Amino acid sequence: MEFRHKRLSNGLVLIGEVNLPAKSAAVGYFVRTGARDETLDINGVSHFLEHMLFKGTERLNSFQVNEAFDSRGAQFNAFTSEEQTVFYASVLPEYLTDITALWGELMRPALREDDFTIEKNVIKEEIAMYQDTPAFDVIDRCRSLHFGTHPCGYSVLGTVESIDGLTAEQMRAYFARRYAPNNLIVACAGNFDWDGFCAVVEAASGRWRSQEVGRPLCHFEGTRQKVRAEKPNLKREHICLMHTGISAQDPRRFAASLLSMIVGDDYGSRFYWELVDKALAEEAAMHFGPMDGTGLFYCYLRCGTPNAAKVLEVADGIFRDLVRNGITSEELVKAKNKVLSAFVLKNELPMGRLGDLGSNWMYLGEYRSIEQDVAAVKAVTVDEVNRLIHEIDLDDYTQYSLGPAASA
Amino acid sequence: MEQRIDKCVLPNGMVVLGEPMPGVESVAFDFMLPAGAAWMPPGYGGAANVISEWVFRGAGKWDSRQLGDALDGLGVQRSTSIGSSHIYLGAALESSNLAPALALYADVILHPHLTDEQFDPARQLIIEELQSLDDEPRQRVSIELKKHFYPDPLGRSNMGELEELQVLTASKTREIADAYLDVQQIILAVAGKYDFDAVCRQIESVFGPYKAKPISAIEIGAGGPKYTHIPHEGAQVHIGLMTPTARFADEAYYDARLAVSVLSGGMSARLFTEVREKRGLCYAIGARYHSRREAAGIACYAGTSPDKAQETYDVVLREFRRLAEGISEAEMDRAKIGLKSAVILQSESSSSRAGAIGSDYYMLGRVRTLDEVKQKIEETSVDSVLGFLRSHPFQDFTVVTIGPRAIDV
Repeated sequence: MEFRHKRLSNGLVLIGEVNLPAKSAAVGYFVRTGARDETLDINGVSHFLEHMLFKGTERLNSFQVNEAFDSRGAQFNAFTSEEQTVFYASVLPEYLTDITALWGELMRPALREDDFTIEKNVIKEEIAMYQDTPAFDVIDRCRSLHFGTHPCGYSVLGTVESIDGLTAEQMRAYFARRYAPNNLIVACAGNFDWDGFCAVVEAASGRWRSQEVGRPLCHFEGTRQKVRAEKPNLKREHICLMHTGISAQDPRRFAASLLSMIVGDDYGSRFYWELVDKALAEEAAMHFGPMDGTGLFYCYLRCGTPNAAKVLEVADGIFRDLVRNGITSEELVKAKNKVLSAFVLKNELPMGRLGDLGSNWMYLGEYRSIEQDVAAVKAVTVDEVNRLIHEIDLDDYTQYSLGPAASA
Repeated sequence: MEQRIDKCVLPNGMVVLGEPMPGVESVAFDFMLPAGAAWMPPGYGGAANVISEWVFRGAGKWDSRQLGDALDGLGVQRSTSIGSSHIYLGAALESSNLAPALALYADVILHPHLTDEQFDPARQLIIEELQSLDDEPRQRVSIELKKHFYPDPLGRSNMGELEELQVLTASKTREIADAYLDVQQIILAVAGKYDFDAVCRQIESVFGPYKAKPISAIEIGAGGPKYTHIPHEGAQVHIGLMTPTARFADEAYYDARLAVSVLSGGMSARLFTEVREKRGLCYAIGARYHSRREAAGIACYAGTSPDKAQETYDVVLREFRRLAEGISEAEMDRAKIGLKSAVILQSESSSSRAGAIGSDYYMLGRVRTLDEVKQKIEETSVDSVLGFLRSHPFQDFTVVTIGPRAIDV
């Protein structure tokens, strides 16, 4: 694998990892913008804007955009998080040039009023869909509770009210502030020609102008409040626990991944043996969510309401035991094996590789090879994980429970 | 480079399949055990699900905890699932650990402890999983739809039914596990980096000779009601509909797949265009091909607010019915390139290839090469797809809705 990169005079960064034996290539435009870069009156605009990019440009309408992707057999999509908006596609190598050019063109959307009006309905249906998905809903609610007034607590989707109130003009202004070339990265992984790729991106982006664009970064410890809300249509207890975490830039991030694996992997973790194996909770997982300048750990637990108190007590006991006694070396070895095999599997696919490539550049401003990351995981010690447990106060966290009415 | 498919039938009748993938360090394997939900004796629909959980709770020389630790120690990414025909015990890992991982899985299949002590939590976990479906209407509508669409027992819920699970006993489940884990009918599919001879030698030595376990064929009964509404005070009405089509092994299979692609293969396809792009009725809308060996259908899902549910259903149904009236060459070209690309992109993943070769073998008795699939896609045409649609019109729909309001069907 060969890494290449280039920065254009307007600030746009191009990065690529060439792997000629691959059968496909994956290309992505990573925009450094998301819910945390919004204000409450335009909450949800980043995600709505992501939808609107597919609605076309001055030259292309939405039907033509969809046909352009589908006629190249592209598997394409986009997602918006608290701090990134990513547009990506997997394609056969012969179509990479066309698809890269198409994404480039779409980065300067028309944002037409009539498209905006129709898509508003789609966004509200998406909000409704997630309201009917309590596993998602509870994590979203807990994030808001955890971050309090910090913008990382803003909902990615926004609310029905914020979306209803949003105007196309506000979206255009947000777009103009955030989609500057110096706030974008274009990445490619797999079987492709670097020079050809650069030529296409440069042709698409030559007239884009750089501008001041920033993001205030401040770490946030979390409110550590505990809330239970009721929804009469629910039958189960959905619980989210959120711990303060460390940032995507923090060298302790490898230890943090291993810690979340030890506490809450699907199989073989502390949660698994104490909660799932004993059928107290049907699902119990912990994830590490590194972010720009801050971060969090979040747990999702699902169980019958009668078990909820017991499940929370057991989870809390696991945290307290880890604070008191730390992890064992056997646990660390198992977690490393699992992290590494998942990492190898993911990186065998150009699409899997693209994510790390883009994120590493966005957060660290550097390229990291698979070998470097493997070595970093292998180097983590029991002491480092145990220190981290104390540094993040593992036994002190925000908690949000969503379940049926107490009398039910 | 020429694609190679390895195949070996062991003396005990078990079939081992493989696809070497140059350039990968991983390997994935799938044991397909002939004990899927449809094969469970009547009244014991959830037994397969409980068995798939119970067998990992101690096997061979390992107790439950030791077995879990041993799998974790090898970095095994586990994937266990229940299908209509099989229990799938899947794994993906770095290839250097393949032999010890296969040995652990052989213990799980051949020498599970199946203790009384581990039965209760295994069954309880499955019950909990099933109860959680009440809070996941989107997932539930797809399960209910298949239950009503397919003739029983092909559409049985892979998760089981609450009433059946609640009365399931350890001794009955043990009896079912023993009767259905028929070595002769197990398929092992491996893809990625491996040594085929070594895999076959190992499997032959641990699985040993065949001991006959005659399983009676399943008797296929009737489907469910044509329309079912399940009340749920959620934000959306979740609409599922399904209509019969060509089976995987049928001559017209590729025509059926292309028809589904024209309907829902991409964002330029009919359903997305008419339902979401032009009318803004839904966020999630799509149809996919779904097949058992014995029957197949096209399943469609749409989630929308109660006030838009009727219109959404009407538009979807109109698009299904309108398809036989005509398809443009451009639509057909997009459907073809979309399907061919998807086949090639999926072929880069060892887990996806292990699943595909095992499924091909069960459905067809052989494994299709990627070239064959691409060629078959290429051979379809607007005329062949329209011919198929006219001789097999979309008339018979099974519909399920979950939400605050029913629709008129």
